[in-house]
Amino acid sequence: MSESTNRSGAEGNGYFLRAERITKIYSDGTVAVRDATLELRPGEIVGLLGENGAGKTTLTKILSGLLPPTRGRVVSPRGRVRFSSPREALEFGIGMVHQHFALVGTFTAVENVALSQERPLAPLQLAETRAKLEALMGESGLRVPLDVPVEKLAVGEQQRVEILKVLSRDVDLLILDEPTSVLTPLEVDELFRLLRRLKGEGKAIVLITHKLKEVGSITDRVVVLRKGAVVGDVRTADVTKEELAQLMVGKALETRAGRAVELSTEEVPAHAPAKREGGGRGQGVLHVEGLSVAGDAKPIAVDDLTFDVYGGEIFGIAGVEGNGQTELVEALTGLRPALKGRATIHGQNILGLDPRQIYKLGVAHIPEDRWVLGLVLPFTLAENAILGVHRWDQFRGPLSVLRWGRINAHVRELMERFEIQATGPGAPAKSLSGGNQQKLIVGRELAKDPAIVIASQPTRGLDVGAAQYIRDTLVEMRDRGRAILLVSADLDEVLALSDRVAVMYEGKFMAVARPEELDREKVGMLMGGVSVGGRG
Amino acid sequence: MTGNEGQPGGRLLRGVHRTLTGLHPALESVLAAVVGLLVGAVLMYIWGYDPWRAYWALLRGAYGGSYEIASSIARGVPLVLTGLTFAICLRGGMFNIGAEGQMYVGAAAAVCVAYFKLPPGLHVVAGVLLAAVAGAVWSLGPALLKLTRGVHEVISTIMFNWIGRFLVFYLVAYVLVDARQGQRTVQIPLSARFPVLVRGTDLSYSVFLAVAFALFVYVLLWHTATGYEVRAAGLTPTAARYGGISIKRTMLLSFILGGVAAGLAGAATVMGLPPTYAIISGLPQLMNLGFDGMAVAMVGRNHPIGILVAALFFGGLNAGGRVMQFYGSNPVPLEMVRVVMGAIVLAMAIPELARVFPALAASGRALVGMLSRKRPVEEAA
Repeated sequence: MSESTNRSGAEGNGYFLRAERITKIYSDGTVAVRDATLELRPGEIVGLLGENGAGKTTLTKILSGLLPPTRGRVVSPRGRVRFSSPREALEFGIGMVHQHFALVGTFTAVENVALSQERPLAPLQLAETRAKLEALMGESGLRVPLDVPVEKLAVGEQQRVEILKVLSRDVDLLILDEPTSVLTPLEVDELFRLLRRLKGEGKAIVLITHKLKEVGSITDRVVVLRKGAVVGDVRTADVTKEELAQLMVGKALETRAGRAVELSTEEVPAHAPAKREGGGRGQGVLHVEGLSVAGDAKPIAVDDLTFDVYGGEIFGIAGVEGNGQTELVEALTGLRPALKGRATIHGQNILGLDPRQIYKLGVAHIPEDRWVLGLVLPFTLAENAILGVHRWDQFRGPLSVLRWGRINAHVRELMERFEIQATGPGAPAKSLSGGNQQKLIVGRELAKDPAIVIASQPTRGLDVGAAQYIRDTLVEMRDRGRAILLVSADLDEVLALSDRVAVMYEGKFMAVARPEELDREKVGMLMGGVSVGGRG
Repeated sequence: MTGNEGQPGGRLLRGVHRTLTGLHPALESVLAAVVGLLVGAVLMYIWGYDPWRAYWALLRGAYGGSYEIASSIARGVPLVLTGLTFAICLRGGMFNIGAEGQMYVGAAAAVCVAYFKLPPGLHVVAGVLLAAVAGAVWSLGPALLKLTRGVHEVISTIMFNWIGRFLVFYLVAYVLVDARQGQRTVQIPLSARFPVLVRGTDLSYSVFLAVAFALFVYVLLWHTATGYEVRAAGLTPTAARYGGISIKRTMLLSFILGGVAAGLAGAATVMGLPPTYAIISGLPQLMNLGFDGMAVAMVGRNHPIGILVAALFFGGLNAGGRVMQFYGSNPVPLEMVRVVMGAIVLAMAIPELARVFPALAASGRALVGMLSRKRPVEEAA
């Protein structure tokens, strides 16, 4: 249609809110958003697109008053706005529906909404709220059972309660953070119908997403964020999925406005795959067949997956987080039951075993969340270094007495070999830096001399040096003939390290290929759920 | 990293350090004790007593001589064991307040030794074992309810305390009752009593049972794979599961072990505390030992060694309190000691208390810094 709009609405007529040159630097120095400008207008659905950690959530939190920006300002036609709390933002007319709902499970929809009306010490206005909700449901077509405890409702219905909660405050701007990630396709259709109706009523809507298909089907405008910066602000009609994918994963692209977008930032040194021509791959270690796993909120998180991982290869799983990677890893490591299918290590079944039995079969697991799974933080280095292997004979004498002498010697060895900076084996794990904690986990797991290493987000949150060290270690393990299953949301990492890459989307592999067969654009499309026909 | 493991002194220090791991916030406990005593002093003052004289009497009554010290230790013995009940379960991630009921049931089981004959040493062992098993069995109820049905242990142990209490009331009145002395149960025969350790005092060999069990718990928790699993599961259940630890198993184990400790507390009281060697109807000599054990565990920071120290302190409060109520012209009632105990527990329950002081010190320093700063700097800021 008309020409594209990098800085559209410049005439200023009828915008609702404008974020001007927002920068957010967290106290640990992370730059979450850099110099981002974003304008929101009534009657428009804006898609906020980007990979994990692109700054989508941070930016919307700033808009909705949850976070103050480090630099920059938010303005409305009435002047500059400054919110010190979400409540103020709500009073101004900005409501956010978070990924994790803030509902009291044992309360009904009416009670939950009444509770959100923020009248301290006043009795709940149940009758009033009910009337309001019924009216609201009538106009919006958004129906939920009002008198059932919300924990008994389907996830989609709970989300509708959240939306009603926000709408009941007469908001003009509705921000939804990944609203479709927990919904069934049918529920997604319903949600989109609702959003279109709200748009018709003149509300401004921001939809945070990483799904390209959704962007195409519902939004009027797309703002693409990468590493905190706005790298594209275009009308949906004027852009192809391919272009969006390129923008999202970071490849030079001339925007319509003619501004060149910077090239992808630092690349992972591609020294890793000294890709041995075919011959490197050993025998099959992990075999997965028809595996389906339920998630916490969704009935199917891993959907009928079949794949093999061989000795001497790194099998990488790329994809936006929340597409079943966590559930897959948990099912393979004994932390989550599988619904159906088979998984074997060297031909031996591992489904239904407890983690210790699985470790005995030669599995090492570098978990995704080192504070929740990987470490007992108040424990010392030595105590953490034997987690999972504490019953191995080398650490245990008669009567199950722990041989602290040997354990400490083992820890000192690990500290030396994996360059763990700590005062000694008796230092509490929580006193270590994130990088050293992760090295401790990696060291502990690799010291098992495993047949397969299942590494989930192994370098997340680490500084460049520690991350590189851990990548080198994984490559070294592969070169020694071990199988590596690498799950990472860091696309560069997966592409650089893996011998084969699978792209996971909604519980399925969109493709399995050698990294050289995949360009970033293609991976971006696959990660966004767009299948790429044939070869590119 | 440079390895300095060659120095024997360093190794010894590290060993000592590990032994003391978990004792670290001991200062916080001392602080709580001081706060408790201060609160008691204020109350005494308000009610017209002389706190100095009363505390002096209490101190002398608790630690004023070998008789007093022996008496304080004797009163601390059951508290060590019920304190361990609470501490073991807390280390395992549960809030077990069932020591009281488990201790009653253990005591009742120990009295059963009166119905059979055994040689002296063996008879004591039999009583101890009976009490341990009974305490463990009584702990199984809440444990199984939690593991199979998800019933919270606080609720179930409170219920089991009442059931245990009335069960033992019944047993004392109708089953174990002494036909000649209806107000108490049959007496434990001489062969099944813990011999008195210090003549003329109530301190018996049961003190060794308490100390040995505390050391056993220490070794188990900090030096065996099993105890490691209990502590890991108690601190971070998710990580424990990742480490292949069965949380249900560690919970069951800590509950049973706690039950054993509470049962032993019952045995130590009826078999080792002169002069009754029987359960008196209304259970006066058992009442509250389980709950006081929780206070002991908290003050002892849920560490067996800390619990030994804290039990000596609480035993002293109990023993000294009895002296306090007979002392001088205006004696302080025994209840005041319980007020002090309550205040200590409250002070322990406010973890911010210890943090308040560093915070105050920091703000004080900031204030001093601000005042002493020179004007130009202030203007620049």
